[in-house]
Amino acid sequence: MIGNESLLRTVGRWGLALLALLALLALSAIPLEIAHLGEIRPVFMLMAVYYWTILRPSSLLPVAVFAIGLVLDLLSAYPLGMHAFIFVTTQWITSGQRKFLLGQSFLVIWAGFAFIALGAGALQWALFALFNMTLLSAKTMLISVALSVFLFPALVLPLSMVHKALADDPSSVP
Amino acid sequence: MFSHQPQKTVLESMPLKTVTVRMVPAALARATPAVLILLALTLMALHHANTLPVERLRVAMMDAAAPALTAVSAPLSSFVEQIDGVTTMRTLKAENIRLKEENIKLQQWYESALRLQAENQSFRELLNVKADPDLNFVTARVISDAGGSFVKSVLLPVGSLDKVQKGNAVMSGHSLVGRVTEVGQRSSRVLLITDLNSRIPVIIQNTRTKAILAGKNQDLIKLERLPPDSGMIIGTRVVTSGDGGQLPPDLPIGTIVSIGNDGVWVKPLSDIDRLTHVQVVNTDTDQALMTGDITLSSPGMPVYKSLK
Repeated sequence: MIGNESLLRTVGRWGLALLALLALLALSAIPLEIAHLGEIRPVFMLMAVYYWTILRPSSLLPVAVFAIGLVLDLLSAYPLGMHAFIFVTTQWITSGQRKFLLGQSFLVIWAGFAFIALGAGALQWALFALFNMTLLSAKTMLISVALSVFLFPALVLPLSMVHKALADDPSSVP
Repeated sequence: MFSHQPQKTVLESMPLKTVTVRMVPAALARATPAVLILLALTLMALHHANTLPVERLRVAMMDAAAPALTAVSAPLSSFVEQIDGVTTMRTLKAENIRLKEENIKLQQWYESALRLQAENQSFRELLNVKADPDLNFVTARVISDAGGSFVKSVLLPVGSLDKVQKGNAVMSGHSLVGRVTEVGQRSSRVLLITDLNSRIPVIIQNTRTKAILAGKNQDLIKLERLPPDSGMIIGTRVVTSGDGGQLPPDLPIGTIVSIGNDGVWVKPLSDIDRLTHVQVVNTDTDQALMTGDITLSSPGMPVYKSLK
């Protein structure tokens, strides 16, 4: 049996995780009118998938990541399944390296994200080229990857706060 | 660790229907990444083969997400307007001088426009020309532009309830920025003219040469199917031809900025990457006009029906 306090805590945790995901989903969709940010929009959701797979894999089930990807595909008019494919692949690769990454400094985790973001960008570019049977300019994709890598620490801070709030014993979390 | 024995007993004691309902989400929750990756790849292949009702799914998602996106994007939009306001304050004096000069020029243009309008009217009457239908405009704020660098489209919080139809032209200020490709009840998707899949029949204004304006996912748009030696000049305006009957004729799009071996390129008149408000052009007769709810200030002037 789960006690009332424990149940409340569990609901609170999932609610917070869901809220954070919805906020990131909104950030991935709403117009960013400042300085043409819409075109070179950082990959906010990819940051969350990568970071939470390392720190808190239980809060992001692969099927949830898949569903978020599908929602983003439908909203952004991408080929159905493309975001889902990229997010689940990212989660899969990252969870394979989780044990290694957990013991590393933030700089290594950051470098890991740079690698993942570049890989995801290149994959997306290749899939679009295949879909449209034409070579597309990779310039805006590369700028978006660079901006995502640059902003990663700034987004990790609130993500890590959510992670701490979700922990049973907040003092045990770095 | 869970013990299997009690779980089995519970499942066995349930009616068959309940077991099936409970087992599906459990199976989904346990789905391995490899299975999901395969599923995603299959979805992409089916989408590419046009065997999925993707448009219906997108429209349902658009309609469901539109209220939330409208609510979330509004504060950001007003924040950006505030920043723009502060930036404008600094350049107010220079802007004022520029506007005064522009106003003098526009006054001259206004006078000649009035003269030409009267002249045009009398010619039309002489020739018994059937006038083009008046254009109705539905103004809406852009609530999503999630396409990023590969898909150039935006979502609007207006749909079939606001008489928006598939194929309607979408303008920002005085120039065309895209056309409506998907319509829900309360939302619609606009494919921008810079998207790779956008093809607009156009006319080069000074030569009346017809061509197709093809988006290339870049800031500039390429003119295709141009007849050889069509005498293009940099700075010439490109407008819609109205061919195909989907878009009204003579809507301005952009100006020719580059002529070279790689083709003729057009720069859109609007800043396509920073659209905040757009107008959906509806050529259908509006009931409000028929009943006299809205009066036109002058023939051919836009009617702003709703601002969302």
